[in-house]
Amino acid sequence: MLETMSSQEINTMPRGAYPVQVPEKMEVLGLNVSYGTKQALFDINLGFRPNKVTAMIGPSGCGKSTLIRCLNRMHELVPDAKVEGKVLLDGQDIYGPDMDPADVRRRVGMVFQKPNPFPNMSVADNVVAGLKLAGTKDRGHLDGVAKKYLERVHLWDEVKEDTKRSGASLSGGQQQRLCIARALAIEPEVVLMDEPCSALDPTATARIEQLITSLKENYTVIIVTHNMQQAARIADYTAFMYLGKLIEYDETTKLFENPREDLTERYITGKFG
Amino acid sequence: MKTRRRLVNRIFLSLCVVALLAAVVPLVSIIVDVASKGIGAMNLDFFTQLPPLACTQPPCPEGGLGNAIQGTVYVVALSSLIGLPIGLFSGVYVSEYGRASRFGYLMRFLGDVLAGIPSIVTGVLIYTIIVLTTDSFSIIAGAVALGTMMIPIMSNTTAEALKAVPNSIREASLALGTRKWRTSLLVIANAKKSIATGSLLAVARITGETAPLILTMGISVLWFGGFTVPVASLTYFIYYFATSPFQNWQNLAWGAALFLMVIVLGINMGVRLVTRGKRVYA
Amino acid sequence: MPRLMDIGLDQLNSMLLDMASLSQSAVAASIDAYTHAVTPTDVRKMADRLQTLHRQVSDLAMEVIARYQPVATDLRFIKACMEISYGFFRYGRYALDIAQVMEIFGDLGRCDRSPVVETAKLTEDMIRMSADAFARRDVNLARRIPDMDDAVDERYRNNLRKVMESKSNPRCNLANVLIMRYLERISDHAAYIAESVDYIVTGVEPPD
Repeated sequence: MLETMSSQEINTMPRGAYPVQVPEKMEVLGLNVSYGTKQALFDINLGFRPNKVTAMIGPSGCGKSTLIRCLNRMHELVPDAKVEGKVLLDGQDIYGPDMDPADVRRRVGMVFQKPNPFPNMSVADNVVAGLKLAGTKDRGHLDGVAKKYLERVHLWDEVKEDTKRSGASLSGGQQQRLCIARALAIEPEVVLMDEPCSALDPTATARIEQLITSLKENYTVIIVTHNMQQAARIADYTAFMYLGKLIEYDETTKLFENPREDLTERYITGKFG
Repeated sequence: MKTRRRLVNRIFLSLCVVALLAAVVPLVSIIVDVASKGIGAMNLDFFTQLPPLACTQPPCPEGGLGNAIQGTVYVVALSSLIGLPIGLFSGVYVSEYGRASRFGYLMRFLGDVLAGIPSIVTGVLIYTIIVLTTDSFSIIAGAVALGTMMIPIMSNTTAEALKAVPNSIREASLALGTRKWRTSLLVIANAKKSIATGSLLAVARITGETAPLILTMGISVLWFGGFTVPVASLTYFIYYFATSPFQNWQNLAWGAALFLMVIVLGINMGVRLVTRGKRVYA
Repeated sequence: MPRLMDIGLDQLNSMLLDMASLSQSAVAASIDAYTHAVTPTDVRKMADRLQTLHRQVSDLAMEVIARYQPVATDLRFIKACMEISYGFFRYGRYALDIAQVMEIFGDLGRCDRSPVVETAKLTEDMIRMSADAFARRDVNLARRIPDMDDAVDERYRNNLRKVMESKSNPRCNLANVLIMRYLERISDHAAYIAESVDYIVTGVEPPD
C-alpha cells in the first residue's frame, strides 16, 4: 500500500482537489438507492481513505445510515431495496454478480447503534461468535482470540474474572465495546459504525472515541454520527449529506473551520437541522 | 358529581365481575363434575385392562381402557412426528425467508385459514384419501389427519416465536458474515423455549380430537395390532361409551374423560406456569 | 431562531464596537491636542478603559468557545475578535504614548507640526475605516487599508531621513520622530485589523 500523503502535501494541493495517488480502500461510484418508489440516495460519489476515520454527518433522513449499510450489503435485507451503481472494495465491486454478501461482510464489519450482544451467549462466546457461527470449533484457539480482542477494546480487565457471564449482563458502554471486539474478531479490513455512541453516556462515549482513534492503525473506519462534535473530534475526513445527496466532503479541520458550501456552514453552525 | 362518578365506577366494576363469574363458573363446574364422576373409575384395571363387554345385567364385567390409552399415545406420537417438523420448517420459512415475498404472504394466509378448518373436515378428507384407498382404518390415517391439523398450529406458533426474536440478533449475526441458514438456526435457538411450549400446546390440542379419529382410525377392543388395522383411542371410546345405555361403559367413559382432562389441562397449565414472566425468546 | 451562542457573539460584537469608537476618540484627542498645541485630557482614562475591555473580550471569547464549541464562521469570528480587540487596545495605548510625548516635551507650539498633522489625518482615516470595515464586515473597505499603511510607512521614513540631515530644532524633531513612530504603529495595527476582517469573511489566512 502506498504511503498516505503528509498533511503538508495535502495542504498545498488546490482546494477541493482529491489526491488520487493514494488508492482508496473503498469507493462509492454513482450510487442511487431506493426503497420501493422512494429514493433515498442520489448519485453518491465518495472515496474512503485507508487507515483513516471518515465520518458522515447530516440531519435525520439525509441518507447517511442508508449509505453506510450499502457498504457491507446490509441494506439489501430491507424489502424492496434497490441499489444502482458501484461500491468498490480494493477496486472490486461488492455488488458484482459473483460476489457473496457473506464474504463482503466478513471483510467489512459493522457495529450498530444499539449494542446487540447475543443474549444467551457468554462474553467470551460473544467475541468469537463470528468464528463459531462460521464453524470454528477449536476451543483453545477461540479462547485465545477472545482474550486478544477483549484486550484490544480494553474490556479484558473488566471481565477477566468471569468471562462466562452473559453478554447482556454488562453495562451499555461495555456491551458496545464487546460488540466492537466481536466485529474485530473476524479480522475485517474495514469497520463500519452506525452511530455507535448515541445510546451511551458521555464517559462511555469518550472511551469508545479513544478506541476508534486507535483502530485507525489496523483498520479503515467509517462512522455515521449525528453528533457533529464527535466527527470533529475523531474523524480525519468528514462527509456532509443532506436529503440523500453528498453536499461536501473534505478533511475534517477544513470542513469545520471553513466549509465551502453554504448549506454545510448553516448545518454545522446550528442554523438548521 | 364525584359520587356520581364513583357510582358509575362501581356499576362498571360489578358488570365485569359478573361477566368473569359467568366465564369461570361453567369451567369450574365442568372440572368438578368430571372429577367427581370419573374418579370412581380410576383404578389399576383402568390402565391395564381391555374394554369389558356391555353390562346387560349385574354383576358387570370388569375392564379398563388400557388399549385406548395406548392408542391415543401412539397416534399422538406419530402425529407429532409428522406435524411438528413440517409445521416448524413452515414457520421458519414464513418468518425468516418469506416476510417480503408474495409466496411467504400466501403461506401466512394459508396458515391462518387452515388452522381454522373444522377437524371433521380434515377427517373426511383423510378418510377419502387414505381410508377408502387402503380399504381400512389405520393409525397411519389417524396420524396423517391429526398431523395435518398440527401443521398450521405449529407453523403459526413457530412463526410468532421467531418473529418475537429481535431483529438485532439477525443483523448482528449477518453482519459477521454468517450465512442466512446459519443465522436462522441461531434465531431458532433463541426462540427454542417458545417453540417448545408451542409444540406442547399443539400436542395437547390434538390429544382431545375426536371426529378425525372416528373417520380415520376407527375403534378396536384389542391392544394395538399394527399399522393397517383400526386402533383404539380415548376420545372415540368416550363418545362410544358415554352415549351407550350401559352403566359400566358409562363409568369408564367418565374415567376416560377425567384422565384426558387431567392430561390436557396439565400440559396447558404446566406450560403457562413454566413460561410465566420469562423473556419469550430467551 | 437565534442560537444560544448568538447571545455571546452579539455581546462580543458590541464590545468591539465600543472599543472601536473609544479608541478613535482617544487617538483624536491626542492628535487634536498636538495640532493645537494644548494639553490632552482624558486620554489616560480612555486607554485604561480600552485595556479593561480587551481583557473582557478575551474572557468572553474563551467562554463562548468552552461552552458552545463554535465552528466555521463563528469560530473564525471569535478568533478575529481577539485579534481585533488587541488592535483597538493598541490604538489607545499609542494615543496615550503620544500624549505622554507632549507631557515630556512640553510646549511644541513653535514646531513645524505639519508633517505630523498630515500623517495623523491619514492615520485617523485608517482607524475609522478599520472600525467601519469590522462593523459592517466590509471586505472591500478593509482591502484599501494596506496601501494606506504603505503610505504612512513612507512618510515615517521620509521624516526620519529629514531629521537625520537636519541640525536645527532637536526638541521639535525628536518629538516629531516619536509621534510619527506611534502613528506608524497605529497604521500597522489598522492593517492587521483589516486582515482579520478579511479572515472573518473569506476564511483565508493572509500570507506571511
